[in-house]
Order: sequence, then structure tokens, then C-alpha cells
Amino acid sequence: MEPIVKVRNVEKAYRKRKSKEMIQAVNSISFDVYKGEIVGLLGPNGAGKTTTIKMICGLLKPDSGSISINSIDTDSHRLKALTHISAVLEGNRNLYWRLSVRENMEYFAGNRGISRKEVAPLINDLLDKFHLKSKEHELVNRLSRGMQQKLAIAVAMLAESDVILLDEPTLGLDVETGYEVRTILKNIVKEYNRTIIISSHDMDVIQDICERTIIINHGSIVTDDRVENLLKLFEVRSYTVSLGGLLSSMQQQLLTQKFPNHTYVSDSYQSTLEIDLLKSEEIYDLFDILKLQATPVESIDRQTVNFEQIFMKIVKGEKTHEVAQSS
Amino acid sequence: MKLLNLLNANIRKEYIELKRYLPNTIAMLLTFYIIFLAMFAGIQVIGDPTTQDMNIQYVIVNYIFWYLTMIVVNDIGWQLSNEATQGTLEQLGMSPMGIWRIMAARLVSSTLVHILIIIGLLYLSMATTGQWLNIDVITLIPIFILTLISMFGLGFIIAGITVILKQIQAFLQILQFILAALAFVPLSVAPFLAFFPIVKGVDLVRQVMIDGASITQIGYSDFLILGFNAIIYFFIGLSIFLYCERVAMKKGLLAHY
Ligand SMILES: Nc1ncnc2c1ncn2[C@@H]1O[C@H](COP(=O)(O)OP(=O)(O)OP(=O)(O)O)[C@@H](O)[C@H]1O
Ligand SMILES: [Mg+2]
Repeated sequence: MEPIVKVRNVEKAYRKRKSKEMIQAVNSISFDVYKGEIVGLLGPNGAGKTTTIKMICGLLKPDSGSISINSIDTDSHRLKALTHISAVLEGNRNLYWRLSVRENMEYFAGNRGISRKEVAPLINDLLDKFHLKSKEHELVNRLSRGMQQKLAIAVAMLAESDVILLDEPTLGLDVETGYEVRTILKNIVKEYNRTIIISSHDMDVIQDICERTIIINHGSIVTDDRVENLLKLFEVRSYTVSLGGLLSSMQQQLLTQKFPNHTYVSDSYQSTLEIDLLKSEEIYDLFDILKLQATPVESIDRQTVNFEQIFMKIVKGEKTHEVAQSS
Repeated sequence: MKLLNLLNANIRKEYIELKRYLPNTIAMLLTFYIIFLAMFAGIQVIGDPTTQDMNIQYVIVNYIFWYLTMIVVNDIGWQLSNEATQGTLEQLGMSPMGIWRIMAARLVSSTLVHILIIIGLLYLSMATTGQWLNIDVITLIPIFILTLISMFGLGFIIAGITVILKQIQAFLQILQFILAALAFVPLSVAPFLAFFPIVKGVDLVRQVMIDGASITQIGYSDFLILGFNAIIYFFIGLSIFLYCERVAMKKGLLAHY
């Protein structure tokens, strides 16, 4: 199957305004996105997420490399490629603040050559989905930040394009509104079967919506895997064991031999063991050691690792993707 | 069809904004009228009485024309400068119609929406001064259309510069006066100015409205110059705009950074 978005060895450097120095914002990035996929683009500030997104949606010309949408080259056939793409870029000024909600939708549709009449049913549908119906005639400058963001996404949906790019869709939203936007996005994905690329540093967004995530740092791809794999990677092997007594020094010695990275915390009556297993069978070794003194086990918890922890570890280079796959 | 929808959307936006910010619109028109009255009074006080009528007629035509250039040429600069610093320009940049078609639609729509206002102002000026000009529609329309096309070219140049530089308010202030000079200068003073944008157009409009020339009295060569200017300025303008757009996409200038 041909990928719907194909990014090949794309590079982009900016010239700093004053010092003429070049900043390599994106450094030979390659990836594919297939129809119906929801891909998260994750990375710290300045990683190159926005730059990557803008190159895909034809607003920035890559210095080298190529990007194609539905096999259409975005450089040589820019306008044709744009018929398959719409995007919401970061910030809340991507709407006309002097126009109402509905007028914005009509205007942007018009700018793509779609008539008001033609687009009216879709606008009504989207206003409902985005809970904006009651604000239909409100001017955008009177809307809350969250509503503006919802409208911007609704506007991007108007084009009925195959690929939708969202740059930081929940940035600056409070918890509740962020949750609402995520729920709406999930519904859209289910209902309209669009291909979506979302950039974010909000782990909830990625964990909640995306099936696959590409982590970039300093303009390069650090890892590209399914979200569940990345979660599995750490989740499987981190355990917290609560013990109803203390470990003998022999037990502690054995533990150190077998699990050099464990942490052991004890008070006078009980103790807690945190342990990372390289293979799941190693849990039997742990039980053997505990059995020696018949140490009572009160609970064993698999540590829930959230995406944030994984992300921090990967970005800091503690785990590279290769290590992850070989284990 | 798509182009028509594009034009329609832009006419609507222009109209909605004029209506929504009616106090603004009224203030603008009032300013126009007050400045006009000042010029009218000036001519009566210090002008040569023998040529007074002629002078007033000149002022009416030139001033109306200047207003038109401001709407078409200067306004696109203001609009784009705002949109570039706000972020809607990027949104336009993602339209498969291309920014230039949207800009063209905007130029045409602001002309269409303002033409009614301009006609109103024209009659108001004539009524105020009691100087009734020759409104020969058949002759005026082709002159206007050809002149407008070259103005659109100028508008594209301004739009291109704005995309690259963004903060061009100071330049736009100066541009107002350059446009005024072009609208007010009599062609007889410097014949080579015929090849400047709009100068030939205003000159012909003056011939029609003041001297009462009809379409048959205006020579082919005049229309030729006008047509030549229209084509040349439109294509130069468009090329400059497209070039600036490419530069902006290379350097990441479409957004406020
Ligand atoms: N138009 C520009 N001109 C100059 N430098 C730029 C421009 N846009 C981005 N940069 C620089 O390029 C690098 C990548 O920026 P980019 O905006 O792509 O990162 P990002 O991952 O989107 O970050 P954030 O999370 O802050 O949005 C940064 O170092 C940034 O300072
Ligand atoms: Mg960004």
C-alpha cells in the first residue's frame, strides 16, 4: 500500500535574524503515514515539530528531501497536493476575529472554492459535533480560547481533505477543555476516517488519540513506533513489591547480584522493593530469593508507566529504539 | 465555478466587515468629505477665479481616483500586514487556490464593494460644489477596467513586499502620498508619466468627465497605452508577488516568528 504521506530525507535550516547563523531545525527526517493512521509527533520545545508540519502542508519549502501526499509531490505540484491537506497551526490567531463562527467557516470554505450553499450541511454538522451551535453567530474575538481552538479544527475539517495536520491542538487549554478537544478528535477519527498527524508535548493527547508516535528531538527522529509498544516497553518490567517483613542480608546480597538496579526501602516492620525485570521469567528468581526466608509478600504491582516517563527517558537517550526492540 | 465561489466569499467578507464596523466606515467617509471640503474652500479662497470651475472639477476627479487607489492598492498592504502578523496568512497559504488567486479575489471584491461608495462620494462632491461632470458610462467603463487592472498589478507588488517585510506601516503611509501624486499630476506636465500606473487612466477620465470627450474621440493609441499598462503592470505585479511568496516559503516568513 502506498503511504498517503511520504517524507524522505527532509532538511530545513533557518537563518537567525540578527547573527546570520543557521539553525538546523529539521535534520534528514523520513517517515511514512498510511491512510487512516493517527500519528503523534512528539518532542520538546524547539524539536522541529512545527517546522515538519509546515513543510508537509506546503507552507515551508524543505532545503532538501521530498514530501508527497497521495503520491503528489508537494514541491512541484504544491496546489494539487494541497487539495488533500488541511491543517491547524499553533496559536489562536488563525481565524478572523472580526467574523462570526459561521462566517469564518464560510469564508475559509470559500477560499478553497466551495460555495456557501454547498458547505452549509457540513457546517451544521460540524457545529453540532464541536458543540459550537449556540455560538454560531458569536464573533470569534468573544470566544474562549478553547472554543477558538475547536473552531479552528472545525475549519480544517471543512476541506474534507484526506490528511489533517494539527499543531499543538491542546496547547493553552485548561484540563477540561483539553479533554473535550481530545474527545472530539477521537470521535472525528472514528466517524470520518481521516488520516491525522498531531504534534504535541501533551502526553495525554498522544496516549489518548494516537496509535503511533514519532518522537523527534533536535530535528531528528529518535523513535517511531506504535504507542502501545512504547508503553509495553517499560510497563512490563517495572514492579513494586510490598513485603510484610524485612529482607535478610543474604537475601539483599542475592538481590544485588541478580538485580543490580533494584531499590530497596525498609522501615522497622515492612519494606518495599522496586525492581526492573529484563525478562518476565526473572520474576521466578525474585520469588526464589523471597522464599529463602519465607518473606511475606503483601502485594506486587506492575508500575504504570505513563507516556511522559517514557518520553523523558527516550529523549534523554536512556533508551533508544534499537535497545527496545532487541529485548 | 470555484473562482466564482472564491470571489463570492471575499466580497461577502468585505461587505460584512464594512457593515459590522459601520462607525469606522462612516468616519472614513467623513474624513474623505471633510478633506474634500477643505480643498474646495482652498480653491475658492486662493485660486484664480477665471479657472475656478475647472480647478474644482479637477479636484473632484483626482480626489475620487485617489480614494480608489487607496482602496485597491494601499488596503491590500494593510490587510496582509495584519494577516501576516496574526497567522491567518498561513491559513490562506494552505488553500489549493493559491494565495495569489485569493489576493486577486480580494482586489476585485474591495473594488466592487467600494465602487458604490465611490459613486456616492462622486455625486456628493458634485452636489456640494455645484459642478456637474460628464458621466459618460460607456466611455468610462473600459477606461476604468483597464486602469483597475494595472492598479491590481500595483496591489500585487505591495502584497508581495508585505509578505516579505510584514511591518510596512511606515511605507504604506508614504505610499499614500505617492499614489496621491500619481492621481493628481497632469499628464501634460510630464508625458512620459503615461507609462506609470494609473496616470494615463486618470488623464483619460478627466478628458471624459471634464472635457466631455466620448469614446470615439479618445484615440486608439490612448486605449493601447492603457491596455499595455494593464497587461504589463498586472504581470509584473503578479510575478513579483509569486516570487516573494516563494522566498517567504523558503525562509519561513509566512508566519510571525
Ligand atoms: N521562522 C523561523 N526563523 C528562525 N528560526 C526558526 C523559525 N521557526 C523555527 N525556528 C527555530 O527552529 C527550531 C525548531 O522550531 P519548531 O518551531 O519547528 O519547533 P517545535 O518542535 O514546534 O517547538 P515548540 O514545541 O516550541 O512549538 C527552533 O530552534 C526554533 O527556534
Ligand atoms: Mg511548535
